[in-house]
Amino acid sequence: MTHRIQVGMLFIIMHLSFSYLIYPDLIYRLTKTSHWEVILCQGLMQLILLWIYYKGLNYFPDKNVIEIYLKIGKWAAIIFLTPYVINLIAIVGFNLRLHAEVINDVFLPRTPYWSILILLFFISVYTAIKGLDTILRSSVIIFFIVIPLIFFNIFSSFTNFDLHSVSPVWDSPLKFLFNIKYFYLMGFSSFLILGFISSGANSNFCQIFAVFVSVVLFSLSAVYIPLFIFGQETVTTLAYPFLEAINSVDISWFIFNRQTMVFGISLVGLVILANAVLLWMSGHIMQKTYKWKTMEAAYWIILLSVIAFVVALVVPHQSLVEKFFLWSTGAQTYFMIIIPSFIFLYGSLSKGGLVGYDKK
Amino acid sequence: MIKSKVSRLSIVFLSILFLSGCWDIKDINNRSLPLVLGISKENGQEYKLTLQIPIPKSDNQISRTVTEKGKTVTNALGHIQTNSENAIDYSQVQLIVIQKNLAKNQQEFRDLIKFLMGSEDIPSRALVAITDDNVENVLSNINNKLGVNASAIYDYFNKGTAWAPELFSTPIWEVYRSQFLSTKDIAVPAVRAGKDTVLVFEGSTILRQGQFIETIGPKDSQMINVFNNKDVKGYTENLGFASIMVTNSSIQSKIKMNNNKPYVTSDLRLKIHILERKQGITNKKIYEKIERLTERRFYNLLKKTQHSQSDIFGFGQQFQHVISYHDLKDWRYKYYPDLKVDFKVHANLE
Repeated sequence: MTHRIQVGMLFIIMHLSFSYLIYPDLIYRLTKTSHWEVILCQGLMQLILLWIYYKGLNYFPDKNVIEIYLKIGKWAAIIFLTPYVINLIAIVGFNLRLHAEVINDVFLPRTPYWSILILLFFISVYTAIKGLDTILRSSVIIFFIVIPLIFFNIFSSFTNFDLHSVSPVWDSPLKFLFNIKYFYLMGFSSFLILGFISSGANSNFCQIFAVFVSVVLFSLSAVYIPLFIFGQETVTTLAYPFLEAINSVDISWFIFNRQTMVFGISLVGLVILANAVLLWMSGHIMQKTYKWKTMEAAYWIILLSVIAFVVALVVPHQSLVEKFFLWSTGAQTYFMIIIPSFIFLYGSLSKGGLVGYDKK
Repeated sequence: MIKSKVSRLSIVFLSILFLSGCWDIKDINNRSLPLVLGISKENGQEYKLTLQIPIPKSDNQISRTVTEKGKTVTNALGHIQTNSENAIDYSQVQLIVIQKNLAKNQQEFRDLIKFLMGSEDIPSRALVAITDDNVENVLSNINNKLGVNASAIYDYFNKGTAWAPELFSTPIWEVYRSQFLSTKDIAVPAVRAGKDTVLVFEGSTILRQGQFIETIGPKDSQMINVFNNKDVKGYTENLGFASIMVTNSSIQSKIKMNNNKPYVTSDLRLKIHILERKQGITNKKIYEKIERLTERRFYNLLKKTQHSQSDIFGFGQQFQHVISYHDLKDWRYKYYPDLKVDFKVHANLE
């Protein structure tokens, strides 16, 4: 039971780490009026995928995604999971670079980004090497540190709200569905992790649903806080709307006068844990798929993280980082569709075949 | 065992390396923290930047002003960095005083605000004020006044509710936002250097998308505060035969469209406190007088702003649900001049 709660916390943390920097910006570019439509639509589609994934995993109790693929054959695991690992590494690299730049902006303006990058990488890799149990335990700590800070940011931003900045009208044609940015947007989730933690799939779908709803609520707050403060036209001109929104709050009588600091610190917590999980996943996949004797999971993690670090380091400037990050989330969308449906199909076919065989 | 000890030790040493958090860091006593930034333009060409920097070392809290010129604001900031004795840290800038001649050029002003908003050093919460005076005079005026704290200019705008209800403040981010809003314009406080006090409040300057429109007096600015639901508690008014103080105000507006023309009914409820009155003046007469006075003031201001097509009250914001997003972009020019407002004041004793 406690394990399930930890998984839920980890799930929320991973989604939060995706939802503050690029996410609001994408939504503002997708639609001008009813932003909630996009968010709910994205949530609904992810939920459907998640349900397929859940159903598919339920055909194979006590097995994780890697074991299912290995059951089909080593070739399947290599073909399907190796590109996914490459994708994960790209996400880790660009995500960390992105966060390093923002942390640079927020409170370390004179520090070169690579030193922040080293720090973030070092802690993430260390956590990833320590294994899943450490990640889950630290997710509890991070959760209890970060969530109050985020709530504090949300509530303090109410002081600058102009409720008239947002029109809640229903904008019927779902034009955004055919925009490539929507495809990128779909990748801002990491529910695939559930299939790699055996107990994650064992939990009740109602619990997953409850956690998912809270994730959608957080996404709504990340999009609507800048919108309520600045309005649509202004928000599209800002580099990091959420950051600027938090920056505008002035509570001079309060001890934490600079809300941006609070936000920056919570970002650090989120990004370290989220990337530790991604690294752990990729290390785990590589070790189980290739089964090279000398390569333990830890070595794989170190090797992959070095690749990710180099990738993060060599990207020359920020706009390119954002572009690459979007590409890698787009690729993740692809895997979010492929892996769950494949497992679902394989599960239902093999189970159906098995039942049919028994009847004979 | 040894391996884990070695790894633990190495982690400790690594953390010494990384967790010190010092990268080109300057101790606070090696930094100058300017509180007020003045920006003006000389001969329509060079930017002139003036900083007011408090000197915390002395007991009687004096400050000094530093002035530099440059082709651009960044340029001038760079000159100041080069020539100053200490590292200048702009993170504590509380107020930015902009000279009116700069504010008159729309494009330049927009660029300036964009720069201030985008700058990582200058906080976007810093307040903006516009002055007719020489910026240098405004900033150095503080040094000639006896017993005035170095942070006086900031304190001036932060007296707290009900202490100076006519005064209001506008942060940079609001000015920046107003450049993109099509349904609301903004007022920026206008000040000048005073003879006995550091600053004198002159009213407010209306900006329409970064363009300087006109300056209105303190009483008119008060109307804007009322419509923005800001606290006007403590505001006093002289009616000739009586003086009153407003203790509470609330405004309620209803909107509708009549023949594609916007229509607003606003009810302002004022709770007043009678400070003094001539003999034989009834409460009713005072109510009537204050109601008429406020309504007249509002209609005058509305007419003025409709003429200049600047929606200073933000009426357009309320039409977000009624008029489509694309039509609202022309709110100022298409709808606002035709706006009819039925404004009623209901005064009452507390």
